[in-house]
Amino acid sequence: MSSDFESYEQDFGTTTAELTNKIGRIPKLSGEEKTQLILNVDKQLEEVRELMEQMDLEVREIPIQSRAMYNGRLKSYKQELEKLEKDFKRSRIAYSDEVRQELLGDDGGSSEGQRAHLLDNTERLERSSRRLEAGYQIAVETEQVGQEILSNLHGDREKIQKARERLRETDANLGKSSRILTGMLRRIIQNRVLVFMLGAIILLTIILAIYFNLRGH
Amino acid sequence: TVSFLFFFFFFLEEACEMYCRAANMFKMAKNWSAAGSAFCKAARLHMQMQNKHDCATSFIDAGNAYKKSDPNEAIKCLNAAVDIYTDMGRFTIAAKHHISIAEIYESELVDIEKAIAHYEQAADYYKGEESNSSANKCLLKVGAYCAQLEQYQKAIEIYEQVGATTMDNPLLKYSAKEYFFKASLCHFIVDELNAKIAVEKYEEMFPAFSDSRECKLLKKLLEAHEEQNSEAFTEAVKEFDSISRLDQWHTTLLLRIKKTIQGDEGDLK
Repeated sequence: MSSDFESYEQDFGTTTAELTNKIGRIPKLSGEEKTQLILNVDKQLEEVRELMEQMDLEVREIPIQSRAMYNGRLKSYKQELEKLEKDFKRSRIAYSDEVRQELLGDDGGSSEGQRAHLLDNTERLERSSRRLEAGYQIAVETEQVGQEILSNLHGDREKIQKARERLRETDANLGKSSRILTGMLRRIIQNRVLVFMLGAIILLTIILAIYFNLRGH
Repeated sequence: TVSFLFFFFFFLEEACEMYCRAANMFKMAKNWSAAGSAFCKAARLHMQMQNKHDCATSFIDAGNAYKKSDPNEAIKCLNAAVDIYTDMGRFTIAAKHHISIAEIYESELVDIEKAIAHYEQAADYYKGEESNSSANKCLLKVGAYCAQLEQYQKAIEIYEQVGATTMDNPLLKYSAKEYFFKASLCHFIVDELNAKIAVEKYEEMFPAFSDSRECKLLKKLLEAHEEQNSEAFTEAVKEFDSISRLDQWHTTLLLRIKKTIQGDEGDLK
């Protein structure tokens, strides 16, 4: 009986070792192989559970005095089985590094990949800093151009203001000259009227003189 | 006698017009000297007829024609015109022609002293007519040439003055730092301590100056000069030049300053 138990123990040992191996492999596979392996593991777990039950029955047939040792072993085997089942469950949804590598392409060694990556980054940084400097240069040039334009504007402003002043003066002068001209015109007309009047008076006086002369005769 | 005078004036008028037409034809034929002399004769006739305006205009035309062939004659004519204008009180135009004369001295005859004198005269007239921006333009030229001729005191005064007036003006304040930089460089050549005091003074007067690249360059140069380190000097100048090129004037002055550093090193050795 105990030899039975021992043979059961051996079986248990080998099966659990296999199971651990297979469960370790599950995350790394995918698709058809994975489902196959999962079914396989399932079957083996069933077998192991049956083994456990049989071991249980065996232990019950042992007399109570020596049962304690076997009970202890049985408990540890049960715990191992539970752990295996948990691992199995987890493994079915676990991710694995290798799947990731397959997706993102073979690196052929991680350290080389990192080096290329770093060089790429450095080059990108250098390019950006060169562009920044060029941008800064352009900004400084723009500022200089702006300075020139502003001082030109200032000069033009003064010229325009001067021109406006002169125009206003000219306008005032023109107004004055036009007034003077109208004054002159008025005086000319006045003079002419005066001359006509005087001429008329003189004529009248001459006519009167002649008239009185003739009358006097 | 009256009729004689009448005919005389009449003929003068005719003669003037004839001379002007002849001069224009010479200009078309590109015979500049002949055009210039014809205009001069016309100008003298105008003077006899007491037409000051026309006289001055003819002298100016003569000057422009002579510019292309005989600079000395041109300057004579332009000077005569300027005298007439100042006589009439037209200072703005006189100033403008002073600038023309100065330009001829600058380019054709390369007589920098006379050019400076004319630019100064122009600046004074502009100041009198309250055209401050034109006055500043002339003053800046005076300053640049003075520094070239090693008359640093005058240059410093001019640049400080211009910097002080422009830093308040919202349109011109962006150019003010340039002027302070130039003044500092002139200070530097004279004496390093002066330069340091000057830079501090300018920073106080005009806070924006301290943020400018020019101010940072000046501080680096002062340091390099203190340590008599001409490599640091060259380094700082190269850095500044890489962002915005230094023009001829600045390069000349900086070279002079650098020579003083190297000269001191030579003395110590």
